[in-house]
Amino acid sequence: MILKNKKDKNRKFLHCTLLPKNRRGDKILSAYWFAVLLIVAAGIFAMVYVYYGVPYDVRNVEGHLLINAVADCISYSGRISSGIVSSGKFIQNANFLNQCHLIFNSSEWKDEQYYTEVNFYKIEDINTPLLTIKKGNNNWISQCEIQKTEKKETLVQCSNEIFYSLDDKNNQYLIKILGVVRKSEKNVKM
Amino acid sequence: MNNRKRGTILIENLMFIILNLLFLTILILFLARQGNGAVVLEQSYAKNIALLIDAGKPVMEIKINMEDAINLAEKNGLKREEIVKINGNIVTVKLSDKGGYSYSFFKNVDATAYPDIPSEKNYIIMINGYK
Repeated sequence: MILKNKKDKNRKFLHCTLLPKNRRGDKILSAYWFAVLLIVAAGIFAMVYVYYGVPYDVRNVEGHLLINAVADCISYSGRISSGIVSSGKFIQNANFLNQCHLIFNSSEWKDEQYYTEVNFYKIEDINTPLLTIKKGNNNWISQCEIQKTEKKETLVQCSNEIFYSLDDKNNQYLIKILGVVRKSEKNVKM
Repeated sequence: MNNRKRGTILIENLMFIILNLLFLTILILFLARQGNGAVVLEQSYAKNIALLIDAGKPVMEIKINMEDAINLAEKNGLKREEIVKINGNIVTVKLSDKGGYSYSFFKNVDATAYPDIPSEKNYIIMINGYK
């Protein structure tokens, strides 16, 4: 009897009945039920906020597009541009990439958000580049080293591609292109 | 007495189901609105257009289906011509009265954006040539 009274007391305490005279709704409108609804709603709102609050990260695609644009500029139809190599000899034109119709600065950013580097190797020796040409903000290159060991989204995105090409004397070369895109604030939640 | 009790259970259950359905409907509507919200679409289209320009070459004409964005912009009282703007190397997509979203591209090209014929809910991006 005492136990039953205690149960009733607890029930009356915890179930805040909004319809005291008519107790039809007391099961539905109990404090427990509202708490459960609130918790579920809060959870879903939080998940949606987290999901849609994170920007789309397109830097990897952008990096590969940058590499393709550079590759098209330095080598077309499998032949290295005559502005880089002529009669089997490399022309030391470090600013060659300025002819590639690339624009790395914009009013959106204080600094340039891109960097690209092209290395030309002989097939027999892929350790010493014959020529290196660069364009962009070289401050980002150090972050590529960090990315190799530890993936951090807030750092720059580095992409690499390698391909073969020929010069006008049909000598084969291996070309390595590095494409770096920062734009972290627009692609990652900082 | 017995009949009254059965009736109570039925109403309780009905209210329970109705409230649950109402709760779920509100949540689904909220999720659907978030997915098709101006902020998400602006970002998605601005980045898409910037990447298309980066991948494109002069004299290319790119047609993008922007039905959802155009519908939303018109609902928010914006004209079709105001949705996509290209200034220098920055694409800006605006679907509401608030700021819009901008993303830059790296190709030094002269690009223009304009809406397709009124019956089509597309946008046309023209890459006119290198600058």
